[in-house]
Amino acid sequence: MVDALLLALALACCVYGMAWLALAMRTHWREVRGAQPLSRGNVLRLRVLGALGLLASLLIFLRVDHASMACLLWVMSMIPAVLLLAFTLAWRPRWLSWLVPWVRGHSPGRQAR
Amino acid sequence: MFKSFRLAMTWVHTWFGLVLGFVLMVVFFFGSLSVFDREIDRWALPETRFEPQVMPSFDTRLGPIFEQIVPDQAELEAARGRVGGALPGALPVMNWSAYTTHRDPVLSLFAEFAVTNNPDDPDDHVHGHVTIDPRTGGILQHDQLEIGSEFFYPMHYSLHLHWLDLGYWIVGLAALTMLAALVSGVVIHRKLFRELFTFRPKKPTQRSTLDLHNLTGVVALPFHFMFALTGLIIFAGVYLPVSETLLKPEALAHARAEAEKNGLPFKPAGRAAALSSVDAMIVEAKRRWAARDMPGEVGFLTVTHVGDVNSYVSVYRAGSDRVTLVGQGVHFEGPSGRVLYEEPPPAVVSAINDFLTGLHLQHFEHWLLRWLYVAGGLSGCVCIATGLVFFVGKRKLRHATRDITGARWVDALAVTAVTGMLLATLALLVANRLLPADLAQRASWEEGVFWSAWLLAFVHAAARSAPAQQARIAPAWREQCWAVVPLAVAAVVLNWITTGDHLLKTVGDGYWPVAGFDLALSGVAVLATLAALQLRRRERSQSKAQAVDAGEPSAGGTPEAAHG
Repeated sequence: MVDALLLALALACCVYGMAWLALAMRTHWREVRGAQPLSRGNVLRLRVLGALGLLASLLIFLRVDHASMACLLWVMSMIPAVLLLAFTLAWRPRWLSWLVPWVRGHSPGRQAR
Repeated sequence: MFKSFRLAMTWVHTWFGLVLGFVLMVVFFFGSLSVFDREIDRWALPETRFEPQVMPSFDTRLGPIFEQIVPDQAELEAARGRVGGALPGALPVMNWSAYTTHRDPVLSLFAEFAVTNNPDDPDDHVHGHVTIDPRTGGILQHDQLEIGSEFFYPMHYSLHLHWLDLGYWIVGLAALTMLAALVSGVVIHRKLFRELFTFRPKKPTQRSTLDLHNLTGVVALPFHFMFALTGLIIFAGVYLPVSETLLKPEALAHARAEAEKNGLPFKPAGRAAALSSVDAMIVEAKRRWAARDMPGEVGFLTVTHVGDVNSYVSVYRAGSDRVTLVGQGVHFEGPSGRVLYEEPPPAVVSAINDFLTGLHLQHFEHWLLRWLYVAGGLSGCVCIATGLVFFVGKRKLRHATRDITGARWVDALAVTAVTGMLLATLALLVANRLLPADLAQRASWEEGVFWSAWLLAFVHAAARSAPAQQARIAPAWREQCWAVVPLAVAAVVLNWITTGDHLLKTVGDGYWPVAGFDLALSGVAVLATLAALQLRRRERSQSKAQAVDAGEPSAGGTPEAAHG
């Protein structure tokens, strides 16, 4: 049971990591936050958070499984994570807005891609 | 020649992908299903719906059953052809083997019998095979189709084309093509990372199709590359059979030298001797695995030179917590039961080969990783399907103005390879639940239904793809999506009616092999409905746009009417 929870947590970290990396891209930032500008500092912050999310995911997989299995799990978990994010960005981009709570203000306008 | 390297790669990607894309679609789809082949077997054979079992006692249960195995009739017939006459009354047994996995409630037993009167081949032999219920030792009916492991899985790597091993060669060529398509795809995709998360469904069809093609191709790129590569590695012996042809004497000498070095008798001595307790050997093998910090159950067990003083028993560990194959074989002398040889950790080259093979064959115990494999495989299917749709979409208009039928036929083949294949698979499952249990040659009937349904899907696709030649969406796509819905629902309902195992029961009992498959079938029905509705919307808007272009009043008729 503990292993199952840890695996779920690792998957969540992978999704979060990928989400922050996506938000560090201006195109996706605009979809999520509208006209609100993306500062260089936030780009850096999002990239670091993204990398940490992915690193946390790998470490948790390593905690649960043998190293060969954990690395394979880590690479494979990126497939559903990226697909989930791509579809969320396509149909419900605003749902990702709460991933950047430190960025104040929220432009309601949704820009066409 | 091409003006740039990128254009050359575009040509490679387009045409290699088109020619073998249909084969790759089959390989990826049935490969994805094969991840759960044992679970699909449980769905197809209701009498095997019980929990996975460990290898039962050899001394009290398996030994007597091995004694009863007889050679397969079809193999005997083929052997008579090779010998050019009658075979000896009783063929002596050479070897026995038993195979199971952590997902198998049933156990497969195999026997090899020597064909002693073939002067051209002194090692000629035939096989016998039974599947048993390890709890009781009862032998299961032989002519039932284990749909997952006997049909879907071989379809993945051989297409069931056995003549001259043609299927293996076509799949190998497709895997090689896949590698070329992946490399060329990376070269032509200008924004590999920048568009990693990009999917724009509201853009025109061609743009969103290409987005989906790029998304599913890039996100699973390591998976696609490694699986095409490891597939080729696994069948290297088929594609480069030097040990069976050019270097056969050397290969034989090497095998003999290896056996002698490890103390394993290469040939029987010709003197009879009884087998000592195999159960005691298994206990010793497990003790040795545990001592190496790799405790485990028996996955594969063989008895070589059965009944001879030179007989020996090999016990291999079942796959468990590692990606690599972890047989860790321990070999025992048959008559005495003493250890002859314990396999050491593999050398570097063998370890790499074991890892790559294990990566593809997934003998490990890890449900999450299995589902991730399915995600990778299905993303490959989407990538190939969208590639085919994009190819047609790009040429449809041009072909329509020049009255060329190429795009139409590619479209018809794409329909056959995508929705047609799904229809054939569902028809097989429905047939599995409808055909009488005692029907003679039941497995052949089920296979016949699969191929007939696929052929019908092709005929339908060919007949209903004419609008593609007028640069419109072929209604065959939508119609086959609609056909998928009742078949998928029927498979779930028929499973309930014929076995009593409805979803509430299987989910409630936590019997996931059947519950999971029923849920997957229900998901297919939902997705097919959504796809059909979306296609209808697009067909209607296309008809309206064409009517406006032609200066006609806005068409209110059905897409069928518009397609003429």
